[in-house]
Amino acid sequence: MTFGRLVKLARLDLRADRRGALLDGAAACAGAAALVFFVALGLGVGQAARRMFPSEARAVEVVPAAVALGSVLGGGKLDDEAVLRLAALSGVAEAHPKLNCRVPIAASRGPEGIPLNWPPGFVAQLPAVGVDPTLVKRDLGRGESFQDNGPDGPIDVVASKRLLEIYNKTIAPAWNLRRLPAGLSLLGIQLPVQVGFSIVPQKTEDRVYESRLLLAGLSERVPVYQLALPLDTVKRLHREYQKADQGYSAVTLFAQRPEDVPPIAAAVRHMGFTVDEGERSVAERVGTVVAVTTGALALLALLMCALAALAVAQSLFATVRGRARELAILRAVGATPRDLAALVIAEAGIVGLGGGLAGLALAFAASLGADHLFARLLPDFPFRPESFFAFPWWLVLLGPAVALLSAMAGALAPARAAARAEPARALS
Amino acid sequence: MIQLRGIQKRFRDGASTVTVLDGVDLSVHAGEMAAVVGPSGSGKSTLLYVAGALDADFEGEALVAGESLRGLSEERRARLRNEAVGFVFQSFNLLPAMSALENVLLPAFFERGGERRADAPAHPREAAREALARVGLAEKAHRRPGELSGGERQRVAIARALFARPRVLLADEPTGNLDLATGQEIVEIFLGLARAGLAVLVATHEERVSAACGRVWRLDHGRLVP
Repeated sequence: MTFGRLVKLARLDLRADRRGALLDGAAACAGAAALVFFVALGLGVGQAARRMFPSEARAVEVVPAAVALGSVLGGGKLDDEAVLRLAALSGVAEAHPKLNCRVPIAASRGPEGIPLNWPPGFVAQLPAVGVDPTLVKRDLGRGESFQDNGPDGPIDVVASKRLLEIYNKTIAPAWNLRRLPAGLSLLGIQLPVQVGFSIVPQKTEDRVYESRLLLAGLSERVPVYQLALPLDTVKRLHREYQKADQGYSAVTLFAQRPEDVPPIAAAVRHMGFTVDEGERSVAERVGTVVAVTTGALALLALLMCALAALAVAQSLFATVRGRARELAILRAVGATPRDLAALVIAEAGIVGLGGGLAGLALAFAASLGADHLFARLLPDFPFRPESFFAFPWWLVLLGPAVALLSAMAGALAPARAAARAEPARALS
Repeated sequence: MIQLRGIQKRFRDGASTVTVLDGVDLSVHAGEMAAVVGPSGSGKSTLLYVAGALDADFEGEALVAGESLRGLSEERRARLRNEAVGFVFQSFNLLPAMSALENVLLPAFFERGGERRADAPAHPREAAREALARVGLAEKAHRRPGELSGGERQRVAIARALFARPRVLLADEPTGNLDLATGQEIVEIFLGLARAGLAVLVATHEERVSAACGRVWRLDHGRLVP
């Protein structure tokens, strides 16, 4: 029997038992809907978590050890020589030194050209870190440079990509500042600052001068609570303010492959340095919680699909028994046992596919409803996604496919029973 | 067209074995209508199922439409039933959810690929309409069995049996559920089909049907008696 005829005959047969087909389809629909809904929720929440806690799988953050045994193990200060030794470790692709800026920088006015409703007398302290320009090179705006422009030029800075979101959702409401529209390009804006000024009076340097920060780029590689300055700028500021050389604050290593990270971390510790796993471990913990929860819910949904398959099997067994005469008639007009088995499986397949597609639609509708509910019930926190659900193409295929396959799997035993039936006995 | 030689058929009934057919010899030629008569439970239906390649578990030699049924594969037997043998049953055996036309079209779903008979219907839907017209039901093609009378249902069943232009027609108590006049109509249709060249074998216990047949055998204790 050709596939087209098989499907046509199966549809005709299903028409005869609409109620049974609808019940089986509803079981398949529930399984597929649960699977798609929970996996889409897990993926959506996972995406939101990754935006909230970004981490690079290849990055290793090296910091000086709290108690340095440098001379014994070769660790201690993170100087240029240490950076070279770290860069030479097996599996390391890049090494980028970082230097916390110990010269205070503060802003007492809002950025030029952006009306922020800056409160009179409000001074914002701007923590800064000097970074190797190659670390953030890929994130610079078109035509923007990231270099030391000398004491008279603007100070190039790169901020965290998450800054705008944090500002709009946390800083602006707290300080009654104007929110910035989403999608606004902040690149190229200039912020007047006072170099050497601290909101803690004792920390203000003897010399304070006016300068401007020029936003050259936005990067995930910059911590949200710091502005990144060119390493040379920070070194210059330290020289200008006669800050003692304490070595680099940190070195960011990038492994050639994610799987190289553990041996690199071990080698770094062996050199006497510490690996700062703060951000990474938070990201990993959040990722694990999301993955485990998603996995558990997906397993639950798969269990529902298995139950749907059992329901289909039970229903088809009853149908096959009740249709013994009909199946015998089909044998009389030329069907083989294999044709009958294929027919039963095709009927289950149509029911499963129909139920799966309905389940997909149901999951999509439920996700819209849940998003609407979340929008009303949850506060407006940073990185709150527009939707807590993600529907990649493979998930759109997975729901109906699992429903189809589980229904067909449920039909295997009834199909065998249909094929084994003796037509002569059923017709007598 | 139908040649049965020494057909034996036994059923296992618990520990004992029941012999239903005990060396049956029978032949029906093309253009002939023959009958096997006997009381209910005498094995008439079993004989038809053996001759129609529905029951492969028998001993003896069966030659139907030029095919020896002994050792024939399931695939070949299905093909034979689909192309060369038409069945008509006492209880019509129509599928209630399908229209008369769809019931007649049923064999088309199981048509095998490969070598086609020269006289096989090229356009199944047209052939089904034609078969319904032959039994006088062209106007009721889209009615479901539940909307037809008993006689009309049996005529739909005959149209289904004729759809693939078979060479052999096997009818099991075809008038058993019909009134006298309708039963006579069905007998007339069978006679017409035999005249058109089909080998028609009818299992019946009704005198009025067997009286219309050229040859009649009585099935008695598993043996045919002329």
